[in-house]
Amino acid sequence: MKLPSLRIYALAYLLFLYAPILLLPIFAFNDGTIIAFPLKGFTLEWFGQMFANDTLRRAVGNSLIIAGSTAVFATVLGIFAARAGSRFRFPGKGPIMGLIMLPLVLPEIMVGGSLLLVLLSVGIELSVFTVILGHVLIATPYTIAILNTAFSSLDVSLEEAAYDLGEGKWSTFRLITLPLVLPGIISSMLIAFTISLDEFIIAFFLAGNEPTLPTYIFSQLRFPKQIPMIMALGTCLVALSIILLTIAEYFRRRGIAKTGGKDTGGFL
Amino acid sequence: MIDVKPAPRNVIAAKVPLDQRKTMIEFQDVHKYYGDYHALRGITATIREGEFFSLLGPSGCGKTTLLRTIAGFEGISSGAVLIDGNSMENVPANKRPTNMVFQSYAIFPHLTVAQNVGFGLRRDPRSKAEKDKLVEESLEMVGLKGYGARAAHALSGGQRQRVALARALILKPKVLLLDEPLSALDKKIREQMQVELIKLQREVGITFVLVTHDQEEALVMSDRIAVMFEGEIAQLADPETLYRRPNSRRVADFIGVMNFLPARVLGEGNGHIQLDVPGLGPLDVTEEQASAAPNGGEAAVGFRPETLTLLYDGQTPLDREAPGTIDEVVYYGDMTYYDVKLDGVEKPVRISMRNVFGRPVLDVGTRTRVAWSPGALVLFR
Repeated sequence: MKLPSLRIYALAYLLFLYAPILLLPIFAFNDGTIIAFPLKGFTLEWFGQMFANDTLRRAVGNSLIIAGSTAVFATVLGIFAARAGSRFRFPGKGPIMGLIMLPLVLPEIMVGGSLLLVLLSVGIELSVFTVILGHVLIATPYTIAILNTAFSSLDVSLEEAAYDLGEGKWSTFRLITLPLVLPGIISSMLIAFTISLDEFIIAFFLAGNEPTLPTYIFSQLRFPKQIPMIMALGTCLVALSIILLTIAEYFRRRGIAKTGGKDTGGFL
Repeated sequence: MIDVKPAPRNVIAAKVPLDQRKTMIEFQDVHKYYGDYHALRGITATIREGEFFSLLGPSGCGKTTLLRTIAGFEGISSGAVLIDGNSMENVPANKRPTNMVFQSYAIFPHLTVAQNVGFGLRRDPRSKAEKDKLVEESLEMVGLKGYGARAAHALSGGQRQRVALARALILKPKVLLLDEPLSALDKKIREQMQVELIKLQREVGITFVLVTHDQEEALVMSDRIAVMFEGEIAQLADPETLYRRPNSRRVADFIGVMNFLPARVLGEGNGHIQLDVPGLGPLDVTEEQASAAPNGGEAAVGFRPETLTLLYDGQTPLDREAPGTIDEVVYYGDMTYYDVKLDGVEKPVRISMRNVFGRPVLDVGTRTRVAWSPGALVLFR
């Protein structure tokens, strides 16, 4: 950071990245329906409007159900895959793991579109449930990545030692494996929850008539009067995301420290 | 550090000669395949009750695999493993009368020292007070009295090692398995732990099976050693036999330092073999001195560095002597290693001499005489 030009570049980069987000809370508390400077005054009206809105409450409820279920299902699938991947060697392991991780790079609009086609042709009605299916698909690669770290930093001898000392397969998992990978599991659930909560494309394709938070926000952007309320909602979401990510990272690091492993990367 | 109690529980060790004790572990033609890889190639051996037995070999020789077949962590492809007369076929690791000290120690990082040591007692019907007492006794036995409440992940390497030992011994297994338990420790602590392990083994009288790649460690600690190469036991003997009468050139090379000189067999008969060895001259060895394993038709004699002595002016050899020139001198404080080129031989032989007060260390290039004895040679042919 000796060159001033590099410093300016870094500052401009951060400004570009975060200035729009900083606008959210500013206008969320601004007493005026037009999103423009100068600011008019302080108000909590938009937050009040937000809590009074029935459709919004329904969207929040749906999103919480979807995100919660996605967190649980994606993490359970992630545990199976990460454990298989870090413990066992089997034929075709490389390609199989590659295919599981593929949704990470597939365009979501394609995933959403093809899922819609399949679900419709099979005859499954679009609902909250179909959104959960789609979200589990895209969140699972993330949970596997996190849980892989947790499982592979766990020394195999620990499980063997518990088994050697008379425990069975299940009690070994409960007494040794689970406590040691629990931080990884919590962190994986939080990440999956966050991914699902603000996912738009798949929810837009698969939700049918049910609103989720992102699709509701999108639909309201057409009405200028609603925009301050959306700003308030956005403020809440940004705060929630930051809190969740921080908790996730805290647990991930604690897990690594607990098993005495080395930090091989993370989100924060 | 370890207290040897006045009344040990089980004093098999050192009282009953090894060959009169009952068999604790028996390998009957054990084979193990990993896919196409033949990891164990017909292991047949017996380990006696209360024996300190070592599996020694370079990495990849199958010694750890063999240890894990005793523990039950590895199945076998054919043959049988018996512990105390019972076949271990279909007996899972958690039902076997063995406990293991792992190379990484495998101390449970989320538990305290006492919880670690008492882990195996979870299914024991005794009262909590009795178990606590057992844990405290076990910790005392390994020199960690009062450490029970500490967090396990905060211990040093040597302390982890002791916790692992206490945890494995608290269940009073018939066999304690140790997988390279000292390899992660630094030299001083390692040597101290070697002595402690021997004492501990004598005290508890449990059969110890140790895996190591360190020949010195095996020689120091074991009653008997099985030297393994490529999935086979090359030689199974007590440390002295292994050192003095290695049965193949490979074993000789792996255990300590051995000098080799090419030899020509002139004739044999009446239990003696006549040889001509360049640098040493014609000599006679007994048939007991000839190693069993063939050496590809090329005869060679081997001798340990300490069986040779440099003669100073005026000294006469006990047996025979050979002239030579000092090629290299390595000073170790208590010892000096000399590489000496015997006249007529290109490759120098290594001689180790204890440094004695008043006897000078000789210089490179000095003409010297080397005292040797045909009785100390091993013949490979």
